[in-house]
Amino acid sequence: MAVLAPAPVSTAPVPGRKRLSRALSERRTRFGLLNAAPVVVYLLLLFVYPIFSILMLSLKGESGGFTLHWYTDAFQGANLEILLTTLRISAETSLLSLVIGFVLAAAVSRLKPLWAGLVMVVVVVPHFISALVRTYGWIILLGEHGVVNNALTDLHVPGAPFQLLYNELGVVIGTTSVMLPYTVLLLYAVMKGIDRRLMAAAASMGAGRLTIFRRVYVPLVAPGLVNAGILCFILCLGYYITPALMGGPKQTMVASLIDTQVMKQDQWNGASALGIVLLLLTFAGLLLLRVLKSAGERYRNRGTAS
Amino acid sequence: MPETHVMSEPSLAAPAALAGSGKALSVQRLRKTYAGVTAVDEVSMEIAAGEFVTFLGSSGSGKTTTLMMIAGFCEPDSGSIVVGGNDVTRLAPQKRGLGFVFQQYLLFPHMTVWENVAFPLQLRGVSKAEQRRRVGETLEMAGLSKMARRRPRELSGGQQQRVALCRALVYRPPVILMDEPLGALDKKLRDQLQTEIKRIQQELGLTVIYVTHDQEEALVLSDRIAVMRDGRIDQFDTPQELFERPRTPFVADFLGAANFLPGRVEEQSADHTLVRLDTGGLLKARPQAAPDGARVRAAVQPGRLLLCPAGDGFCTGTVETVTYVGTLVRVTVRPLGAAHTDLVRLELPAGHAPALGARVDLAADTANVSVFPDAEDGG
Repeated sequence: MAVLAPAPVSTAPVPGRKRLSRALSERRTRFGLLNAAPVVVYLLLLFVYPIFSILMLSLKGESGGFTLHWYTDAFQGANLEILLTTLRISAETSLLSLVIGFVLAAAVSRLKPLWAGLVMVVVVVPHFISALVRTYGWIILLGEHGVVNNALTDLHVPGAPFQLLYNELGVVIGTTSVMLPYTVLLLYAVMKGIDRRLMAAAASMGAGRLTIFRRVYVPLVAPGLVNAGILCFILCLGYYITPALMGGPKQTMVASLIDTQVMKQDQWNGASALGIVLLLLTFAGLLLLRVLKSAGERYRNRGTAS
Repeated sequence: MPETHVMSEPSLAAPAALAGSGKALSVQRLRKTYAGVTAVDEVSMEIAAGEFVTFLGSSGSGKTTTLMMIAGFCEPDSGSIVVGGNDVTRLAPQKRGLGFVFQQYLLFPHMTVWENVAFPLQLRGVSKAEQRRRVGETLEMAGLSKMARRRPRELSGGQQQRVALCRALVYRPPVILMDEPLGALDKKLRDQLQTEIKRIQQELGLTVIYVTHDQEEALVLSDRIAVMRDGRIDQFDTPQELFERPRTPFVADFLGAANFLPGRVEEQSADHTLVRLDTGGLLKARPQAAPDGARVRAAVQPGRLLLCPAGDGFCTGTVETVTYVGTLVRVTVRPLGAAHTDLVRLELPAGHAPALGARVDLAADTANVSVFPDAEDGG
């Protein structure tokens, strides 16, 4: 089972260029291109152009001319630390959202449709409220004399009140609550698509609950876990409000740093470089997604009989 | 999902020993009601090792519910299920050590054919080498060796069901349960797989309980058939017995699509019952305890009716329809002599078809005619 075999590759010759030109000469294709034109113009103007100009800004020296100075800056000292903190908090948040999201989605997917719908509304509705309001809500709950700490103190929990705000714990709690709807929705969709009778089939041949979970359920949910995890991670990388309000100075994330550089220091070049770094990290995340997917595919296609 | 479950397979090594002991499965007075409606009503049966038993019935007859209770997917209200000497009535499905083949195949989509079949062996801690040998053998037997690396979705329905079959028998469970396994396949494939299932079952001496609503399938496959109706077993017998000596009108109708001819008992003797049909003729049937003059229905299957010279038969009528069905011809005859009677259906060899509108006389062997008291409604 451990023998790796190369995935079967289609070796049929593809007359690439010929096919392209034939496709272009087709009426339907030309019509399609015409339809896409407004969107293409829109994206070029409002998306590609700004990113391109930011890229140019990040490569421009203070006295003009080309420089990589802003990038070496981004990867040095305090900036590097902020970058690493961002990556760490994003990873922690993704992991926590995945775990909670998995449990929640698994529970909801077993409920009757009416109840499932109700729970999903409860999960998603907070998302419609302004992130600022939501964050202040958390601050009220988690403060030193907030609801949570008061309850814990009244119950004489040793060590209470706890420091639940203005540290990494606070940031992770806050961002996780923001990310949870994404993971729950993604995982719920995958879980709903799993034929529950597969578990019955596994049980019929002698698999216990834990084995069924490990060998059948989790592998079937795995693609959803990868998707949800990467999405969470990417969203977290550039997240701003919650970390800024619920974290301390040690939890400054890249987005806050960019904000400081632009708003307080009028330092557009450095901020641009950081923005490009975030963009590249996002691409790296998406690339990781593809790599994991093809690795999963290869793993599944691994040789068996030999 | 909490609860760590420790695998215990007391029944794994059992089949060889079981074959000697004779009894593979015993069901006693099984009962199940759903919201006040009785789905299975006091079903009891003994199944010998190596036997192919079919639960035959239409939907709602309780056949699937009975199977699900044996598998452990549904808990009986009362009664007991004993597999190889162990009472498993209250055991979870995974602890019963049985095999199950589902109508929808239910192969694991994330595993290859090979992994699907190896899965139950892995659960039982079978060594890698042994897994390789047994999975290889099993796939070979089912003609699937070349498909081992494929995924279920790359296979046709028939191939998928073959894999499911392999997966259910690779660990040699004492009893394999099959819930309409060929229900989703087309006719030709079904016939082919029937032959294959029968061959494998006989080759390996498997004990199989098979559920179907298709009487032809039941007749082809089974050593014994339990004909079920309204949650009860109407008759549990060999196909031949069911076909030739149906105990209830339902069995006669369901298996043989019998003609029911109303009449009165005219004479009783040790070797026959004479029935005066409403159409006027006299029909000799197998002996049946019924008082003289009692209203009865004589049942005779279409294939057991013969054409005979005028005056020799129990019924004269005119041919209404003639339909060719391959080597057979189906004929319906309207009996003369009574205003409101059902058409009589016959099946004759294709060469012997009478002409439309012809006047024919019908006869039947005494041994092929059953008599049922009219009070019992066959539905």
